[in-house]
Amino acid sequence: MRFKRKWYTKLMMAAITAIALIWTLVPVYIVISNSVRKTLEIKEMPPKLIFTPTLSHFEKVLTLDNFGKYFSNSIIISLSTIVLTILAGTLAAYGLKICKSAIGQRISNVLLLGKMVPTITVMIPLFIMFNQMHLTGTYVAPVLAHCSLSLFFVTWLMANFMQDIPNELLEAASVMGCSRLKAFPLVVVPLLKPAIASATILVMQSSWNELLFSLTLTNIKTYPLTVGVAKYVGALSVDWGKCSAAATLTIVPIVIVGFFMQKYLVSGITAGAVKG
Amino acid sequence: MKKKQKIFYLSLEKGDLLPMLLMAPTILIMMVVMIFPLLYGLYLSFFKVGFGGATVGDFIGVQNYIRFFSDTTAQKTIVNTLFFSVGAIAGDMLLGTIGAVLLNKMSRALGNICRPLMTIPLLVSPLIVGLIWRYIYDPSGILYWLLGHVGIGMEQFPGTSSSATALLCCIIAQWWEVVPFYIIVLTAGLLAIPEDYYEAAYVDGAGPLRIFFRITLPLMKNVYMTVLVVSGVDTLKIFDIIYALTSGGPNNSTMSISMYAYNQAFVISDMGYAMALSVIAMVVSFLVFGIPFLYNNRKSIT
Repeated sequence: MRFKRKWYTKLMMAAITAIALIWTLVPVYIVISNSVRKTLEIKEMPPKLIFTPTLSHFEKVLTLDNFGKYFSNSIIISLSTIVLTILAGTLAAYGLKICKSAIGQRISNVLLLGKMVPTITVMIPLFIMFNQMHLTGTYVAPVLAHCSLSLFFVTWLMANFMQDIPNELLEAASVMGCSRLKAFPLVVVPLLKPAIASATILVMQSSWNELLFSLTLTNIKTYPLTVGVAKYVGALSVDWGKCSAAATLTIVPIVIVGFFMQKYLVSGITAGAVKG
Repeated sequence: MKKKQKIFYLSLEKGDLLPMLLMAPTILIMMVVMIFPLLYGLYLSFFKVGFGGATVGDFIGVQNYIRFFSDTTAQKTIVNTLFFSVGAIAGDMLLGTIGAVLLNKMSRALGNICRPLMTIPLLVSPLIVGLIWRYIYDPSGILYWLLGHVGIGMEQFPGTSSSATALLCCIIAQWWEVVPFYIIVLTAGLLAIPEDYYEAAYVDGAGPLRIFFRITLPLMKNVYMTVLVVSGVDTLKIFDIIYALTSGGPNNSTMSISMYAYNQAFVISDMGYAMALSVIAMVVSFLVFGIPFLYNNRKSIT
């Protein structure tokens, strides 16, 4: 049942919706449109809505500043992080599931404690450790570091999704002669496909957009996109043309992936929170 | 049936190794990238450590921590971080609630258009969020061009160039990024409330505002608590947005504890002190969010 609404309520709702949409979309429009504006036009106020686009910033960023390489670095780092965290996290969540359930429940809640540790607290010692092991400047360093951000969360998410798998199903599998290890690929993983998709997009956005670890644990050969963008940010001035082009290169792929995985993004975000 | 269940759920007490084996990779990775670094960092905070840790210097006891209590800038960064956290969370909750209620009341077709558009800020890197807002707050930029039409200039709202308003500017940028997250979670929470409650309240003659405060809010308490634990914690770690937007200035008014520790470690190269600072940051984080976390945890176990 819905309340009957007066016309002014409707009008107010429409107004708030319009403001919310403008508020959300204009900043993204600004950065993307600036990436194809001429350097002088970027600072022009009021901004022209119609202008002749130029690809010169992208050209500079991709050829002179090596952003093609950063782009592939970002892909390598985030894909490795996704594979590693989901593999380890799903296995661990299954381990929790087949434990006596009370213990599993308790551990899976404690997992969230990991989120409370500030990134910087882990980052400095990790930097020193990787430096001594000569791992800075390899892909291993940022991938492992990104795992520290996501692995707790993925395990917790998977454990949450796994609670929904009815025990009867696992019992039936065991009656049919399926061992617990065999039940994992045959019964559990097929049912977890949506959960894996959710974890994929969430880990991807956290790894793709991560800055603090990448800033310190990579060198010129393994810089991901965020570090490339950060290098343009000076304390006093910013080269807006190049910066916007680099930022656009970073935003567009993840937004496209996010758009197609919309459903899983939303279910991943809400899964833990609403069930508590 | 009982017997079969036992075969599937061999408990840890009976020396069943499989669950442990399945958890081993995760435990191993967490040891390497979390537990060990934390212990190592705690250890290093009692030493004088130069850049890169190649030269772990003398043991100086708790001097790094004592230094914190005489370092007024460091104390200010904690206050800044807490202010940022409170401002950010308050705005996220308020705007998130408004957005969620609105999205819930929207017609389905409109909702289907708005929802994907709304998730875009979530996917943008916080660094770039800071960058976009730096462009917007530019004294000769778009915000002041717009505000100029209503007679507000740099004197009335100094933006990122004054220590009075710079932190607020960072908070607004954070709202832009995180409010969609709150909207998504709170929308799901709203949908979980049974429609009958609203009907009953309506029949009893309660108005929409009264229904919101008497039914919706109390039933959403747990959702708010979880959101606080899952997302609120991130506000204390704030680094990227400030790094791009103000770099901690002007006059350290937006310097967060993470940013300050980062500067100590990688600009001034005093890693021992930086470590002590980041341990303090962790303690603050546990003190502030420990209570909602424990509350939340106790609720979901029992």
